[in-house]
Amino acid sequence: MENENRPPRRYKRSNLSKIVRWVLGIIVLSYILWRLYTVFIVQNEYNPDIWFRLLLSGLVIGGVYSLIAIGYTLVYGILRMINFAHGEVMMIGTFAGYFVFEATNAIKLTSSSGEVTSLSNAQPVLAVLLAFIVGMTVASTAGFLLEKIAYRPLRKAPRLIPLISAIGASIFLQNLAQLLFSPLVRDYKNPALIARGQGWPVTIAGAQVVIPYTGVLTFSMSIILMFALYTMVKKSKLGKSMRAVAADKPTAALMGIDVNAVISQTFIISGLLAGAAGVMWGLHNGLVYYYVGFLPGIKAFTSAVLGGIGNIPGAMLGGMLLGLIESIGPTALGISYQLKDVLAFVILIIILVFRPSGILGEILSEEKV
Amino acid sequence: MNRNLFSSSVKKGLTFGIVMIILVLIDFEVMASILLSKLLGVNVIRGALPQVRFMIIFLVLYGMFVGWVASSNHEKSAKKLFQALVAGLTVAMVVGLFDLVLNQLIITGTDVRAYLAALGPASIKLFLLEKGALGSLLHLGLFTGASLLGSVLKILLKSDPVSHFLKSISTVYRGLRAKAQANTPDWIKKYGKYLLFLLIGLSAFFLPRMWGSYNNYVVGLVGLYVILGIGLNIIVGLSGQLMLGFAAFFAMGAYSVALLNAPLPLGIMLGFWPSLAIGVLMAVLAAVLLGLPVMGMRGDYLAIVTLGFGEIIRILLKSDLLTAFTGGPRGIQDIKGPTLFGQPFSSDIDYTYIILVFMILAIFIFKRLERSRTGRAWMAVREDTKVAEATGVNIKNSKLLALCLGAAFAGLAGGIFAARNQFTGPNDHQLMVSMNILSILIVGGINSVPGIILGAFTLKGLPEILREIENYRLLVFGGLLVFMMISRPEGLWPATRPKIEKDEGNKQKAASPPGKGGQNG
Repeated sequence: MENENRPPRRYKRSNLSKIVRWVLGIIVLSYILWRLYTVFIVQNEYNPDIWFRLLLSGLVIGGVYSLIAIGYTLVYGILRMINFAHGEVMMIGTFAGYFVFEATNAIKLTSSSGEVTSLSNAQPVLAVLLAFIVGMTVASTAGFLLEKIAYRPLRKAPRLIPLISAIGASIFLQNLAQLLFSPLVRDYKNPALIARGQGWPVTIAGAQVVIPYTGVLTFSMSIILMFALYTMVKKSKLGKSMRAVAADKPTAALMGIDVNAVISQTFIISGLLAGAAGVMWGLHNGLVYYYVGFLPGIKAFTSAVLGGIGNIPGAMLGGMLLGLIESIGPTALGISYQLKDVLAFVILIIILVFRPSGILGEILSEEKV
Repeated sequence: MNRNLFSSSVKKGLTFGIVMIILVLIDFEVMASILLSKLLGVNVIRGALPQVRFMIIFLVLYGMFVGWVASSNHEKSAKKLFQALVAGLTVAMVVGLFDLVLNQLIITGTDVRAYLAALGPASIKLFLLEKGALGSLLHLGLFTGASLLGSVLKILLKSDPVSHFLKSISTVYRGLRAKAQANTPDWIKKYGKYLLFLLIGLSAFFLPRMWGSYNNYVVGLVGLYVILGIGLNIIVGLSGQLMLGFAAFFAMGAYSVALLNAPLPLGIMLGFWPSLAIGVLMAVLAAVLLGLPVMGMRGDYLAIVTLGFGEIIRILLKSDLLTAFTGGPRGIQDIKGPTLFGQPFSSDIDYTYIILVFMILAIFIFKRLERSRTGRAWMAVREDTKVAEATGVNIKNSKLLALCLGAAFAGLAGGIFAARNQFTGPNDHQLMVSMNILSILIVGGINSVPGIILGAFTLKGLPEILREIENYRLLVFGGLLVFMMISRPEGLWPATRPKIEKDEGNKQKAASPPGKGGQNG
């Protein structure tokens, strides 16, 4: 622990790496400017409705990323460890929600007029609520067990050891899901009320844009959850003890805080958020398979770093930003949509190279010493 | 006290019961009994199920394991037996309840395979020992009895043979070596090394000719992964930087050889050897370009950045953007093999030779590096950056050098891999490749050459030989990574430190990861 509480060390950077850094920065910046210039001024072929559509999808995906990113940030803030298996916790939530919808879809109700409808169509609010509750519960249980089995015995080990353990847990959970549910890509059965692709039509600059119901549900749900979490961390006793543990574990223990319990609770909370994000992902994107958590996990980590790791508003902002960049970026830069994942990784590398503390600055214990 | 014993045993039993249920859900129990069946000499045709008795053997072994684990920290035999009995009964009851559900599925003819892919009726029947609901009762007896048996075994044996065995392999080997060194006459001491090398060389020359192409394939694969493992070990083990995108360098080598040596898409038929050299250079170049900006980062950030780098390379290779240049998702076919003195040198035997030669070269370079000034500088950087800097090590340069050397090995292995398969595509360079190489290091033992060979064989060779475990390989690796980190972070065959370091005192003890150091496990 003494090692980790030192102020960050700065080594004299050799000239060559400084030059490489700057050359890299200038190349990236001029490339972005050149592409923006070509797309917006030379070609200028996209109408406002297209940008609006991209903005919408960016906000929705951003909400999901934010929720997962909060989990990374909370855990990193407390344990200084990248919870590599967090994406898999989200995947478990997605599967839980999938099974709830399958079950509610299989239960048939006969209404008074003799029509046969499934439970999920007759009571869509109940079905969605149930999916969220089950998804969040299962995911938070998974997060709790993950911490207890894979991380707790390694509390005092050097920092790379828990990271490797987390990678192992991630591989394990992915393959367990693959073996249990087969590698098939499955469809989420949304209730008919919030079927994918349907929504409110809006006219923007003479063209019709549909605001999808699932998008609205996802976005508002993520805002509500983020608000709830923020209030919890700032106001409640648990939030206070979480911040205390993040700041300084030994001192927090001396103040009568059960450090292990707080860490467990942190994992439970981040699991709750990841589970909700998983169900949202399923509702909005509609696909669920064993690998579904991997990329959102990595991108959410990128978001957490982007906003400043350890910083909860930073994670929210980073998630939203990354979602927007990812959905608007490929079109704005005029590159293939296949490369949107590359964009996220490039942003991660650029942020870590030029400003490792993120946009809002990282909040970690070492800065407070 | 007894109550405590009781509840902890019930807890263990519940855990093992749930694990058993999960094993059944992923059809693991059938795979295990097929393996047992093969081990006992009864061959099972692919796709067929093993005989019931092997399932019984598997269940008994599992029950014995439960009893073994449950009857832990007590001196008194009666208490141990009590614990085993309670745990065994709990497992049996949990599994028994599950059996009833399974039996109901069979009776009603419900097929749940749409959701739980592995739970077919045939394997359920096998799990119920072909007896239906009676199987549940049989399980009850089996688990309880086996658990007691395991406990009795533990009482009789008194020590834990598995971990003892693992620990003793390397110590016995070292002890033997020390003893042998003391007793051998001078001429063997002087020339024995060369004699051994001659023997290894001769067997490496003759064996590939004798044991058929399939074994050559497996040995070649293991050899390639040994080269990769040594490369990654220089980065992770010696200089202490966690790298998760190692497959990117592998891809550099593979694609260089492929592009410079295949008719499509570029059609530069440069020949294998020059393109292999270029592949190694390209990998080193990539390492320099990646390393220079990111070298000063925190360890875990570095891990994620390298992971991102690996993914960027893979996605770029796959994308439409580079399809004209790299063949896109379909990859590059018909890569021409090497020639030697104008003769084609690309049969499977020849590849085994090439791989073995490079593998031995890699091991030799690694061994020399480890003891060299550079290697010691790396280890110093790994253990304490500040002290290393104070003693005059240029941190950045030495880290970068490690990255470049590791990348060179990856490029080399990638080039040979592409030529041997006559094909390379983006799917050869997935994140899983990087993870596999890392697992080899961690399972085998970081910084230990025998460990890396053992790890490469366990992780790449065994699944090739035992095809049944193919599906469960990654699951087992994932679990193994966690397990190794918790209970045995130094690997199956841990490295011995050079003597100079040992004398330095207890600095290493602080740096080496602790064993079961949890406050509450």
